[in-house]
Amino acid sequence: MACERTATLVADHFDDTLVPLQREALDQHARHCADCAQALDEARQTHAHLRTWQPQRVPAWSRPALPSAPQKRSRLRWAWWQWAPLAVSCVLALAVVLNVQISTGSQGMAIRFGASSTPDTAQLEARLAAFDAQYQAALQTLTQTLMQQQATDNARLMEAVIDSVVEQFGDSTARSLEQVIAYFESQREQDLQLLQASYQQLADSDYATIRSVEQLAMLVQGGQP
Amino acid sequence: MSLAEQDDALIRAALEGSARSWDQLVRRHETQVYNFSLRLTGNPADALDLMQEVFLGVYRNLHRFRGESQFSTWLFRIAHNKAIDMARRRPSSTSLESALEDAGDLIEARWQQLDDVPEQDPQALLDERQRNALLLAQMAALPLEQRLVVELKVFQSLTFEEIAELQDISANTAKTRFYTALRRLKALMEQDHGM
Repeated sequence: MACERTATLVADHFDDTLVPLQREALDQHARHCADCAQALDEARQTHAHLRTWQPQRVPAWSRPALPSAPQKRSRLRWAWWQWAPLAVSCVLALAVVLNVQISTGSQGMAIRFGASSTPDTAQLEARLAAFDAQYQAALQTLTQTLMQQQATDNARLMEAVIDSVVEQFGDSTARSLEQVIAYFESQREQDLQLLQASYQQLADSDYATIRSVEQLAMLVQGGQP
Repeated sequence: MSLAEQDDALIRAALEGSARSWDQLVRRHETQVYNFSLRLTGNPADALDLMQEVFLGVYRNLHRFRGESQFSTWLFRIAHNKAIDMARRRPSSTSLESALEDAGDLIEARWQQLDDVPEQDPQALLDERQRNALLLAQMAALPLEQRLVVELKVFQSLTFEEIAELQDISANTAKTRFYTALRRLKALMEQDHGM
């Protein structure tokens, strides 16, 4: 073979990727090059001889069996465990965003989303109003009892003083003393009113404290009265 | 559904643990792999060994198959590498005489299978086996690198660019090997048949 293009030309002849222009140039060269034309002819014969191969049937053989542990499944199992912490984090973040409230009461466990609903506020107001009425009644009873006790004590004191003065100095002196006692009694009335006001202020303070504690407890328990 | 899509479906099922899908996948390609192995090794026993190694390699790497090429292309890439590994482990004789001995074994083995295909003309079958045996003997006389190029070009219809990439050589080297192999085969043909 004298032509240096023969090997490439013969190989390219069997390459289906040649574009028409390349194939035309190849054929053109083979028409004018005796060496390449002969090599191409022999190569076609050899190629045709090779293509006479008849596919052989596969003899009986032991096909490799698939083991019971597929490789991809194990990779998926690892992937599931790797994603589990992220999934838990997402659930917790969602619970915070939606303000999920879980509480237990006499009717069992309850789950709420977002702020307390309107019916819970009404229940709270009703309970506070009942508590207020109960407090006012108890306070009124206490005040009346205190005033009656004070009046009884004052009357007893005045009688004791008058009896003592009449016994020692006579009736005229007793009249002057009655005026003094009247003044004293008016002062006691004022003291009593001041005392009543103090009791009222103290009771109001206690009531405000109790109400605040109760509201705080309801908030902690998720609005359950 | 195309053949490639059927392959992909079988692969997915096999990866999920379906032994039946794996068996179907092997059966769909075993004839091609066996004939590839037979032409490269020159005898049925080595061809079966090579086929076994090829499918074991396929199983071990099946989870790496990304579907970027056809499964058959990926399969023959593995087969090509396994054939080279086996040739390095078992340096076979390249003499025409020993190859013809192996070809004779093949003919005898195929005669034993004639009872399995009673509808086929025994004489035609014998002629076919003899042609194949002769071809095997001639292929066996080629150096492995030339045999591989002929196999990949003539029987697997790869381009020279694909062959070059597979064998990590230049396309021109692949073309030169192909041309040299054809000349050698032509000489053997003339020797056997007076062509």
